Amino acid sequence: MTTLDDLMKLPGAMAAFEFRGSGEMLEHRIAYPDRINESTLDLLAHMCAANLSIATMQARGWEKVTGMEGFYPIQEFTLIGFDWSVVVSGLQREQYKQAGKFSLPPFMGVVLANESADYEAAFGLLERKEPVP
Amino acid sequence: MSMIRRLLALDGVNVICHFRDDGYLIEGYGLMSHNDMGRLAQFARDYRRIAQGNADQLAMFSGMRGWTPPHGWIIRGATQSLCGVANLVCVVDSTGAPLNEILMELREVSHW
Amino acid sequence: MSIVTDLLAKPGVIAAGEYAYRGDRFSYRGELSENHARVASIMCRATTMSVNMEASMLEALQPLSGLLPPRGWLVHGPGYTVCVVANVFCLLDNRKGSINDLVGFMCQALAAIPSDMI
Repeated sequence: MTTLDDLMKLPGAMAAFEFRGSGEMLEHRIAYPDRINESTLDLLAHMCAANLSIATMQARGWEKVTGMEGFYPIQEFTLIGFDWSVVVSGLQREQYKQAGKFSLPPFMGVVLANESADYEAAFGLLERKEPVP
Repeated sequence: MSMIRRLLALDGVNVICHFRDDGYLIEGYGLMSHNDMGRLAQFARDYRRIAQGNADQLAMFSGMRGWTPPHGWIIRGATQSLCGVANLVCVVDSTGAPLNEILMELREVSHW
Repeated sequence: MSIVTDLLAKPGVIAAGEYAYRGDRFSYRGELSENHARVASIMCRATTMSVNMEASMLEALQPLSGLLPPRGWLVHGPGYTVCVVANVFCLLDNRKGSINDLVGFMCQALAAIPSDMI
């Protein structure tokens, strides 16, 4: 299973965090405490939880209206900020849900510096499929 | 006397603010500093637009009438709640405040 | 050449378009019906508005957050990705296109677009 430490190895990774669907932050890692702190991560987690929920609503609606599948379940939501980006995913939870598990892993997120951000690598890590225990 | 000020007479209403479409505070009354009222006004304007955008999409996808345009929103916290209607926002006590009456009054005042 | 034409020439791009921040008009090219492009432009505008407001709220609560003003956002699904920078949206087939190339191109091409119109 992808861990926060794996995410911190991504190019430009500033921080990585785990959060609940409600936005509450659980574990986190910070590479540069002078540039990003726990308080910012906590706010980011809440913001990203909201955006993932809305993106899921949009994907459901879009697939229903257009018949064009391939958006749901949302794998990641990414906000490309002015200097930094944040990528969040709840895909591992989907894998647990599909395996019939009731206890689900948390959502995961990583903050990347825009100049070295590799979105595909971030998506690849967050989408890594591993057997559900 | 300002029309919105009468909302403060209702039980549990602690703050009432009126803001422009761009979120600039026009007037505000109650137990809050002017600076914080400015922040509250900006938040209420932003929150209203987010909620309205999401409701518009819900209506678009569901085809169900009656959601848009939304009249207002309520965020209910542990001890304090926010109520927004049009360009008005108020802070009320979460317990004991006559929410229905406050909302009716907000709707009436927002039409003036 | 317009950015929409440039985007459509990129591998995997199915459709691309622009929407007005005011929400009163949109234009697009690619493999989408007029109605679906309208729905897409409404969704893209709503999300752009939301992330801009969220970023300004975050900035108010935590100054120098590095996210304000946001340049854009991505929604990555199993088959497709929606990529939005400023008021330009783009639909990408994940199997055929590169997200990094697309984001890099859009951020560079749209770097000078002012965000105060939002």
